[in-house]
Amino acid sequence: MLIAEGLRYTYPGQSSPALDGVDLVLRRGHAVGLLGPNGSGKSTLIGVLLGLSRPQSGQLRSPGDIAPTIAWVPQDLALYPQMSCRENLAFFAAMLPLPRGEQAVRVDEAIAACALAEFADQSSQTCSGGVRRRLNIAVALLARPDLLLLDEPTVGVDPQTRGFLLEQVRALVRRGTAVLYATHYMEEVEAVCDRILLMDQGRVLAEGHLDGLLRGDGDGPAFDSLEALFMHHTRRSLRD
Amino acid sequence: MLSLRQALSIAAKEWLLLRRNPHGLAVLFLMPAAFVLVMSFALKDTLTAHVDMPATGWVVEDRSPVAEHWAREWQTRHGMLRLDDRGALHAALRERRVQAGIVVATGWLDGDAGPRADRVELWLGHPVQPASAARLRAELSFSMLQVRMKMAASAAGPFASVLLSEVGNEELQPTAAAVQVRYLHEIDSGRRMTAVQQSVPAWLVFGMFFVVIPIAGVLIQERRDGTLPRLQSLGVGAAALLGGKWLAFTALNWVQLGFMLLVGRWLVPAFGGDALSLDLSIGWFLVMVAATSAAAVGLALLIAAWTRAFDHAAALGSGINVLLGALAGVMVPRMLMPPTMQTLSEHSPMAWALDGMQTVFLGAPDAAQIVPKALLLVIFGGLCLTGAWWGMRRRGSRH
Repeated sequence: MLIAEGLRYTYPGQSSPALDGVDLVLRRGHAVGLLGPNGSGKSTLIGVLLGLSRPQSGQLRSPGDIAPTIAWVPQDLALYPQMSCRENLAFFAAMLPLPRGEQAVRVDEAIAACALAEFADQSSQTCSGGVRRRLNIAVALLARPDLLLLDEPTVGVDPQTRGFLLEQVRALVRRGTAVLYATHYMEEVEAVCDRILLMDQGRVLAEGHLDGLLRGDGDGPAFDSLEALFMHHTRRSLRD
Repeated sequence: MLSLRQALSIAAKEWLLLRRNPHGLAVLFLMPAAFVLVMSFALKDTLTAHVDMPATGWVVEDRSPVAEHWAREWQTRHGMLRLDDRGALHAALRERRVQAGIVVATGWLDGDAGPRADRVELWLGHPVQPASAARLRAELSFSMLQVRMKMAASAAGPFASVLLSEVGNEELQPTAAAVQVRYLHEIDSGRRMTAVQQSVPAWLVFGMFFVVIPIAGVLIQERRDGTLPRLQSLGVGAAALLGGKWLAFTALNWVQLGFMLLVGRWLVPAFGGDALSLDLSIGWFLVMVAATSAAAVGLALLIAAWTRAFDHAAALGSGINVLLGALAGVMVPRMLMPPTMQTLSEHSPMAWALDGMQTVFLGAPDAAQIVPKALLLVIFGGLCLTGAWWGMRRRGSRH
């Protein structure tokens, strides 16, 4: 689906790189959990994969040179609060290269997928945090993406909404979507992802099948939880 | 094609957001309308050649019969309030029963040498306009000259004295008020500059430049909430983003225009002011509005693209607009500025807009008057838009 090789990116005016030779493979029907402490480079990696930032070195390529449709669920609620849920969806759908009739189909589809029918005509600023999180994901689904990049999509939601969102992501993976799921919640990675990419200071510390990494396949030690694995690699010191 | 469709959708979204932003609409419509109304009355007599004489109170300390005669003559000619002493005069000024006071001090009549100007004091209350004060001084000087002439005639002999007293007041009336003052633009249009004719284009231009408030509001909200990078991730480029906003706010400028014309044509007269004359050269008018809009929206986008917070953009945008407006003669007409300030004001984009607009509003403009101003505005708008585009791209690459 998408292969990243040796990605290196340094922000203007910064001396140390935010990404330092990151390799990543995203496959159809698989979800990769992107883990790392604050400032480890997760959001920068997502920005580079989206094309919002151009890496100074390294490359992104797709097998067969067919560029996948990539959609992004940002950590922020990237919505227009003055507009209703439907108006938000219709606006973002209008940004896609779709005929007008198809745009309406995609909006209805996204509303149904994220259970937003009840709130469709409600101003998004008056909706609960959980509804807005669902709308945030619904906007990404408009593109029917081959690859979905989720950046901490469940921040600040109740367990019910979290369960719903995780089930939606699992359903997408089952339907063949490639997913990169960045989060600080280990249990979400365990629930959704079959592989992980653990980063710190722009470098990849661990990458592979979740079960294999926990078992310590190869030379590595075994861990009784993902959090233990995370702390082992990233140490206990506080970050930015 | 996709970029154009994206730009149109962004423009439609801007209108939707604007309709739901009553504060932004108030800044764009009510503020300039209120200013037109207020300034049309505040400047009512400032822009006309006619200057009213202020109501005066007189204190005659000089006990000579000539002084008494002079005061009576003034009373007949202009009317006045006769007061006993300076204290009474000061009280009348403070209470605004009179606007100006004249004290004919002891020693005013210097024997055969005649009246002494340095023994006349002119007191002015706060509300007296400089032009009215100047007219009062001129009338006083002339009136004293008349006294001097009569005294000279009296000294010359009985015949001259009688002759002069017969023709007296009527023939020696000051003639300044009868002189017809004409402005150059009347040659072409026959139209006179009135306060409403000055205020509507001035505050229309000012209001058009205030699109910086809603533009910055939306753009900074988009950056803060993450919708801007989200749009960029959907393949929306800086050109479509800026183009959509440009379209929306240019259209808004045209709505402002319609609203301000209504205010000048119907609201100001409803309050007793002059009506705005709409006998305009439509073609040149549209050229000037389009060019002004290009400059206004370009500057607003530039400020919005390079500021981080709405507070900064609002303060910077308002400050720049007020400064450009003051320089351009929006608040105080340029004709009332000293020559140095008038020269300086020629460097304000609002002055280019205002000059062109007023030329249109005064009737019969031609290409030589309009095209250079319109070109300057379009170039200014283009440079601002380029700066905004650069700023958007720069911020986009820093995501």
